[in-house]
Formats: sequence, C-alpha cells, structure tokens
Amino acid sequence: MARLNIVLALLAFLATGFSGAVQAAKIVEKIESDISSRNIAIESNFTGSRIVVFGTIEHSRQSESEIGLYDIAVVIRGPKRTIITRRKSKVAGIWINQDAHTFANAPGFYAVMSNRPLPDIAKQKVLDEYGLGFHSLDFKPVDSGSAELLPVDLAEFREAAVRIKQKEGLYNYDPTGVVFVGRTLFRATVDLPANVPVGIYASDVYLLRKGKVLSHNRSNLTINKQGFERFVFSAAFDYPLIYGILAVIIAVTAGLLASAMTRRD
Amino acid sequence: MFDIYLPIAELSMNLLVLLGMGGAVGFLSGMFGVGGGFLMTPLLIFSGIPPAVAVATEANQIVASSVSGALAQWRRGNVDIKMGTVLLIGGMIGAVFGVQLVKLLREAGQVDLIISLSYVTFLGVIGSLMLIESVRAIRRSRAGKPVPARRPGQHNWIHGLPFKMRFKRSKLYISAIPPLMIGTFVGLLAAIMGVGGGFIMVPAMIYLLRVPTSVVVGTSLFQIIFVTAMVTILHSATNQTVDVILALVLMIGGVIGAQFGARAGQNLKGEQLRALLAIMVIGVCLRMLFGLVIQPDELFSIGPALGGH
Repeated sequence: MARLNIVLALLAFLATGFSGAVQAAKIVEKIESDISSRNIAIESNFTGSRIVVFGTIEHSRQSESEIGLYDIAVVIRGPKRTIITRRKSKVAGIWINQDAHTFANAPGFYAVMSNRPLPDIAKQKVLDEYGLGFHSLDFKPVDSGSAELLPVDLAEFREAAVRIKQKEGLYNYDPTGVVFVGRTLFRATVDLPANVPVGIYASDVYLLRKGKVLSHNRSNLTINKQGFERFVFSAAFDYPLIYGILAVIIAVTAGLLASAMTRRD
Repeated sequence: MFDIYLPIAELSMNLLVLLGMGGAVGFLSGMFGVGGGFLMTPLLIFSGIPPAVAVATEANQIVASSVSGALAQWRRGNVDIKMGTVLLIGGMIGAVFGVQLVKLLREAGQVDLIISLSYVTFLGVIGSLMLIESVRAIRRSRAGKPVPARRPGQHNWIHGLPFKMRFKRSKLYISAIPPLMIGTFVGLLAAIMGVGGGFIMVPAMIYLLRVPTSVVVGTSLFQIIFVTAMVTILHSATNQTVDVILALVLMIGGVIGAQFGARAGQNLKGEQLRALLAIMVIGVCLRMLFGLVIQPDELFSIGPALGGH
C-alpha cells in the first residue's frame, strides 16, 4: 500500500511539473518535496524503517535528467542532543575512559544524500552554510572547565563522535542517494535503524545549480514510541518511582505464579 | 522475525535469543542452586545491553526468582525471619549507597569500568576459593576419607562484639553488627553488580556467623527479595535503567530453565557441582578481564550528557 501511495504521489508531482514547465521559461526553479511517511511509530516489533524523500523541480529547464543542469541534496536531521565523547587510555594495564569532551548541538540522526559527491556540487563554504555533509555539522564544544580544549584534540574527538554515529547507522552520507526520475522528479531513500532517537525530524531538500542554492524545501517527520513501548518509556522517565514499584510488583507476581505452577510435588 | 524492541535499553534483540539466555542461566541456577545474577548480568553486557541497564534489569529479574525460591524454603520452615530482617536492614543501607554510587559513576563515565572491575574481583576470588575447596573435597572423597563435619558452637572474634541478639531459628546468640555489615555489603553489590549476592552471603553466614546450613539458603533468599526489590525501585527512580520488557522475557526463560536445571542437578554430587560452578565463575571473570586488558578496536565512545541539567 505504502509503495502504491508513493507512486501515485510521484505521478501527481509529475503532472504538476509538466504544467509548470509549459507556463513560462522565465520563472525561477523551485523545489517541492515530501516524505513517504510523516509519522513513524516505534513499537515492539520495530527493527528500523525506510523512508523515501521525493519531490519535483518546478519550472525545470532541462529536457531530460541526463543533462545534469541541477544538483539536489537531501538532509534529514534528528533532534539535537548534548553528547560526551570519551577516549580510553591504558592505566595500570587496563583501558579506562580518561579524556572527555562534551559537544552540544549534535543531531541524534543525520543523513545527507546527493546526486553526486558534495564537493563536486558546491564549495565547502556553501555546504557549511546549509549544513551539508559531516564537516558542516555544528558540534559546539562545551567547556567542561577541567580540561583545556586543544584544537587538534577537539578535532579528533569530533571525528570519533561522527565515526561512532556512522557505525551505529545514525549518521549517513550517500553521494549517489538522490536519483532523478525522468525530467523533473527525484527520490532519495533513507534507512532509519532500530536505535533511531525519538523526536521531530526535519527533511531539508536543496536544489542547486552551478554551486548555488536556488531553492529549499522543508518537511517534518515525527518519530515516536507507540503503544506499549511508549507507555513503558514515558512511565520510566515521567513517573520513575511508580515505574520501579510496578516493576517489582510484576516480578513478585511472576515469582508467585512460577512457584504455584511448579508446586505439584 | 522475532525481534523485540527493548524500550529502555533502546535497541532491538531477538526474542528467542533472550528467552534462551534466560533459560540457560535459569537451568544453571536451578542445577547449582544459585541466583544466577552473576552469570546473567555479564551475559547481558556481552550481548550489547548498556551495563547500567543490565545491572538494574537483572536486579528486577532476581526479585522474581528469589520470590519463588524463598517460598519453597519458607514452606519447609527454613527461613530465619529475625536474622533475615537484620541482614535486610543492612541491605537497604547498602542499596541506597550503591545506587547513588552508580549515578555518580555514570555521570563520570566510569560505570562500565567499575561494574567490570567488581565482577573480575569478586568472581576471581570466589571462583578460585570454590575451585580449591571442591577439588580438595573430590580428592578426599576419592581417597575414601569422610568429609569432616564442622563443629558447631565454636567461638570466634564475632562473639566478642556488643548489641547481642537472640536468633531462635538459627540457635544463635550473637551481635547484630556482623549480620548488619554483611547485609550492607551485599546490598552494595546488588546495586552495582545486579546480583542477589547469595554467593557472598551464604559463605559469610556459614563461616562467619555459623548459621545452621539448613536455614542459610532460605534466609539469604528472603533477604535477596527485599534488597533486589529496593535496588530495582531505587535504580528506576534515580537512573531510569530498569527495562521491564527485558526483565519479563528473562523471567519467563529463567523459570522454565530452572525446572530442568533442578532435575539435572540431582544426578551430580555436591563437590562436582561446586567444581563445575567454580570453573564457570572463573570463565566469566576471565572474559570480563580480557575486555579490560585487551586494547579495544575503538578507543572512543559516546554517550548522552548526564547530570548538570
């Protein structure tokens, strides 16, 4: 069903794209986009999800996608968090977390996709301005007060944070993730892993031509725990004492049940 | 296919694997008559559950297994309520301190290290002692010599302490200080390691307090129910690290496994069982030690900023 909806939506965009191109050639190109699902529920069977960001270039001047007049970059950003990056050192024969740096503004999820490698699309300055690529992530070092922040050190900790997030599937860069379909349509597929953080996500789509951003479009996406998972999670954090007492009651009941079932001798 | 999302651990794991883990540890605890926390918590950590979540969740599971264990002992009249209560008061004090300690260690990023170090230390010491003792017992029984029975009524330094109390069920008249201290220590371990602490309490009651062997297990289980319940509630309230879904799956696996384990254990001799258990304890200890000593592939780790908000 979801697939069919996407196809229908794509067809609808295709139709508007055509009518737009017929109107006038002087009008500036504009990008329109949407996400295959705007709400993602994390339930007990959640093992990750795949979303499709799709859209159309209105008033496109290219007759077919192969001409390569336009570039598109899609960025999905999760809610910002403050994270601590720690580095282990060998102390008395064992590996111990020793140095640590705190970064504010680290998105919990970050995926960037483009139709060709980002450095080919625009200069670093432009990429940084629009937050395209890992380099442009605005991690803000928080001074913990205890350690001096050496720039070299800081860069290493920052890279490590990005590397670990990539390993966890929470940060992604796909330089061929945006695919043009026909003359004006495009689509990009994003995989959200099971450990995806909850919150409001932004999907930003940038239309570029010759290294300049022509148009930008944003849609939002909500990821939430649903059903029993949501109940458990919110109970644990909103009513931690009651949650703990309930956890004990469940365990005592389970223990009583077990002993009642096994008392046949 | 059977993946289940664990809301507090924030990851999804295979339901059958979790049930299998609960079942395997339940089998072993049924066979050896131990709580199994010291096997389950490391197993959860090895399979990727954050150590703080593993500890708190395992405490929750132990509540269930100790309730059914204590009930069986209670029916046989093997619980010294008075002794259990004194141990329990100490346990509560230890639990409060332990949970606060875990909170501070999490903020400092050292909780994983301290959990591992505690396991290496305690499992190493207990495992080695058990192995030596059981090997001696096996040798002695092979040589045809009778296992020497302990002589009750022996006096040691404990009898010189004040605040003496009469424990009728245990036939003891001793100071309340040693059981209180043992209880506190065990409560601390329960909060930091996610164990019931029977492996410390049982030998301590037998060798230090000279509690009759018949009431030791029941009294220890009685105390464990309340201390692990306290630890569960305190960890929930302070650290939000109890995953009830994970705990429930482990409870189900554990109950089933314990039934089969108890039957399997009847065919083995006491000293052989102890030797087997000692080898497993040392195995877990070494696995934990390797994790600390061998250079990790990734020296960096990231975590959420805790505290200071």
